[in-house]
This record gives sequence, structure tokens and C-alpha cells, in this order.
Amino acid sequence: MNPMIRKELRQRMRERRGWLLPSLYLVVLGAVVTFAYFLTTDRGTTTGIQGSAVGVALFLTLSYAQLALLLLLAPIFSAGSITIEKEQRTLAGLLTSLLTSGQIWWGKFVSSLLFVLLLLVTSLPVLSMAFAFGGVGPWEIFSATLTTVIILACMSAIGLYCSSAFQRSVHATAVSYATVVAITVVTAIIFFVRLAIYESANRGQGGATGNIWYSIPLNIRAPMYVNPFFFLTASFAPLKQLYPAWFTCACLFIGIGALAVALTLRNLRRRGDF
Amino acid sequence: MIDVEQLRKSFNGKCALDGFTLHVGAGDLFGLVGPNGAGKTTLMKVLSTLLPVDSGTAQVGGVNVSAKAREVKRLIGYLPDQPGVYQDMSVREFLEFFADAFQLTGARHRAAVDRALERSGLAERSEDSVEQLSFGMKQRLVLAKTLLHDPKVLLLDEPATGLDPLARIELREQLKQLHAEGITILISSHILSDLEDICTQIALIGAGRNATDAEGHSVLQLRAAQTPVRIYEIEVIGDSAAAVAIVNSAAGARVLDSSMGRMVAEVTGADEQAASLLRALVVGGVNVLRFDHRALDLEERYKTVFREKNA
Repeated sequence: MNPMIRKELRQRMRERRGWLLPSLYLVVLGAVVTFAYFLTTDRGTTTGIQGSAVGVALFLTLSYAQLALLLLLAPIFSAGSITIEKEQRTLAGLLTSLLTSGQIWWGKFVSSLLFVLLLLVTSLPVLSMAFAFGGVGPWEIFSATLTTVIILACMSAIGLYCSSAFQRSVHATAVSYATVVAITVVTAIIFFVRLAIYESANRGQGGATGNIWYSIPLNIRAPMYVNPFFFLTASFAPLKQLYPAWFTCACLFIGIGALAVALTLRNLRRRGDF
Repeated sequence: MIDVEQLRKSFNGKCALDGFTLHVGAGDLFGLVGPNGAGKTTLMKVLSTLLPVDSGTAQVGGVNVSAKAREVKRLIGYLPDQPGVYQDMSVREFLEFFADAFQLTGARHRAAVDRALERSGLAERSEDSVEQLSFGMKQRLVLAKTLLHDPKVLLLDEPATGLDPLARIELREQLKQLHAEGITILISSHILSDLEDICTQIALIGAGRNATDAEGHSVLQLRAAQTPVRIYEIEVIGDSAAAVAIVNSAAGARVLDSSMGRMVAEVTGADEQAASLLRALVVGGVNVLRFDHRALDLEERYKTVFREKNA
């Protein structure tokens, strides 16, 4: 086993946040699900509400809430991962040992991701509530979970890049959060503003037929392909309809993650100025 | 063991090393002195494979640090200035992690950790948290960690900074011991008295270049087995003219300066040469009050080299 993984996991689980964060995470997620349940079922009368509709509503709420929470938590685990070694002046010891830069990165990445995945796993009992109501199948659970894991892996890689590029955890964390905001909020704003401009310019030219999403020009749609919530939405499509939207998103997220990995390794190999 | 030739390294256009050259023989305990910003830490980082060089070559044990960093890492133990520790680990966990990081396995792993605990004097505190150790103990722990994989070369960057006098004495003794074990040591420090006590040679570095003393030496010999020329201060009672004549007539000796019963003489050769000069003075009827070898101490030489340059 990579000694970095053992060390990182041991250190992480000794921190107070090792048990505090999962507890808080489950409390928040439970509150969101409870709120969603009452919102779905409280329509003056309970007659006519299908159990499957409640199940789908809970599943969607849970998936989006989970992604939002994990996007907020991922930088905490990854962005401080290498900077803490700089701050406590232990990075030189690692880099002059026989550990390769790749092993150091992998140890940091696995421990960051595993902790976020631990949160994902702990939410399974909450997710099973949606199962109980019906309307949600194993495929939806699998594709949503896989999509969330790809997004979190990419965000962890970006967080580690920030951690390798900055000297202080506070700066690395701030830039990681700025990245999260950029890909979630900014891309959505750009998309909706450009869509509004496009629609006002093309009003009266007849409605789109077929898939509305693909009737929007690619240059307007493009920012949404790096939006995690759009990526998650694309994962809810049936298997045969995952191409091209879900695949495009997956390729972009994996590509961005790979670029972050390459830049992090370059920083670890070339920078002794810590 | 360490060969540095015309090394250059810049950071954002600012030159940290500007053609520095250094040769350290196997088994030497070599000091590196110079003012702040002279390039000592940069040199240490280059030798420990942490920094790439712009030009020039650096080799450790005949292995180029730029081309074969991994091989160099097997040869060296690097102790940075202000080394860090993992506060939330126990002493044993800390050493075990680095033993893993140096790919020590099985019996060798256990032996290395036990030896490091013994070497650092922390065997009885092996289960204590690193956080509970004093600064001096942490420094001993980090040095022990640096020695886990039995390096042939030790690169120590300001290892005594922040240590109390007792910890400094312990560090000096430990370095002497390691030197006696045949480990080549390159140590940078501002504590000149420590370097003078333990080092065999001292290299002078200033503004990234080899600095030189008044005689043009960039490397000062502190403990050479045979120093060819030595300076003696001789004090005699009464007329010194006879003493001057005897010194000047002795083989390999000459008076450099004399006044009021005191003279400074240069003696070429081993200690026996000085002994025979003293005997000649006594046999010649000179009342010798004092006959001392005058070594220009490192602090004076440092001041001569760097104060003149700064003035």
C-alpha cells in the first residue's frame, strides 16, 4: 500500500472533522429530504399523489442537494492537502524521500476523494427512502452516483492543483471555491443570459421541434457542459440517450481533471521554493 | 563525493547561484558559510534534488542530481532549515512512515526504526505524540529520520538554528560521531564556533559565488593533517635581536614582524619544525616566555572576507 495513503487516512480520521463533518452532512441531508417530502405531499389533499412521484421528487432533491453539499465540502479536503505540508514544512522531507511525485499526489487524491465518497456512502440510507416510494430504479441511482463521483474526482484534482500552486491553505481553498462558483453559478448565468438574448432575437420564428435542448445553438449551450448540475441532470436520461450530452460532460470533466493532475505533478516536480 | 561546477540558478531574474564551484571529498565534514542570501539554501536544495539548475553541474557520489534524482535521493539525507514534523503522529509512526517512504521493508524496516529511536534518544518516548516533544527533541527526531536509509551524504541546512546550548552540543557530538562513521557531511550554519569545532574545511559563499579570503582561498582548511605554513607568536625576555637572528637562521623559519621582545614568525613544515625552532631558541640562550601557534579563528576570517566586501 502506498505509504502516503495510509498516512493521510490515519491523519484525516484523527481530526475532529473526521466525525463532525459526516454527522453535520447527514443532518443537513436529512433535513433537506424531510423538507422535500412534506413539500411534495402537502398539496391540500393527499389523494391523487402517486408514491412514485414522491420517490422521484425525493431522489432528485437528494441528488442535487448531495452534489451541492459535496461541492462545498470537496475543497476543504483537497485544497489544503499539499499546502499543509508546505505550512508545516514537511514537503521537503516527502520530496527527498523515495516517494515519487505521482505517489504523493495519489496518496493525497485518494484520501481526499475517499473522505468525500465516505459522505456519499453514508447518505445511502437516506437515499433508500426514495427507493421505498418507487419511481426510481437502480440505473438512475448508479448513473447519478457515477456522475457525482466523476465531478468530485475532478474537483478534488482541481483542489490539489490549487494546493500545489499556492503556499497557504487559505489561498488554495479560496481559489478552489472560486472554481466551484465559476463552474456552477457563472456558467449558468452566462448560459441563461445568452439564451435570453438569443430567444428575444429569434422570437416569432416558430418554436423548436424535437429536443428543445439541442435546438439551442452549441455556442450558447457550451458553458453548461462544464456545469456539475447540468452534468447530473444529463445522467438522469435513459442509457441510450446519454450521448451526446452526458458523454460530452464526462469527457470535459475527465479532461479538466487530467489537466489538473498534470499541472500538479509538474508543480511537485519542479518547485522547491516552499 | 560532492562535485559542484559553475552552478547557476536564478529566481525571476534574481541570481541565487552565480557560477559556484565546490568539491567535497568522501568522509569530509565540510562547512558552508556566507551571509544571508548568499545562496547556501539554494545550493542545498539543488544538491537534494529539490531545485533544477539553470546551468552547470552538480553531482553527489558521481551521480548527476538533475539527470538521476532518484539515485541521488538514495545517497543523501537532507535536513532543511526549519524542518517540519507531523504533530499528530506518534514518534514511532513518524519514523515508520519515513522508513516506508524510503522503501525499507521487513527486518530492515524494523531495525532502521529501532536504530533511529535509539540514535535520537527517544526510544522511551516512542509512543508519545510528536507534538509533546521539545524543539531539540524534534530536531533529533528529524535528524534520525534523515538517517533512516543509511545515506552516504548528509546535507544539513542550518541544523542548529533555534537549539538551546545543550542541544547544540549534542548535535555537534552527533555530527562528529557520524563523521567518524565515514558519512560525508555538508553543513551550512551561521554559528561559526560550531563549524570551527567540527568541520575539516569551510567553503565561503557570497552573492552566489565562491568568496575568497585575503590569500585568495575560497576553502579554508581547519583541520588539515599537514599544514605547510604556520604562524607562531614568540615572546622573549630581554633583547630580542638574538632571538630574531636564531629564528631567521633556522631552517624553514623566518621572522615576519618583531618589536619590544615580541615577534611573529612563519614556520614551514610539520609540528616537529616548530619544536626544533623552540629548542634552538632555548639552546641559544634566549629566555622564551611564550611560544604560541596563532590560528586566525573562523570568526576573524569571516569578518575579513565578508565585512570588507560589504564595506
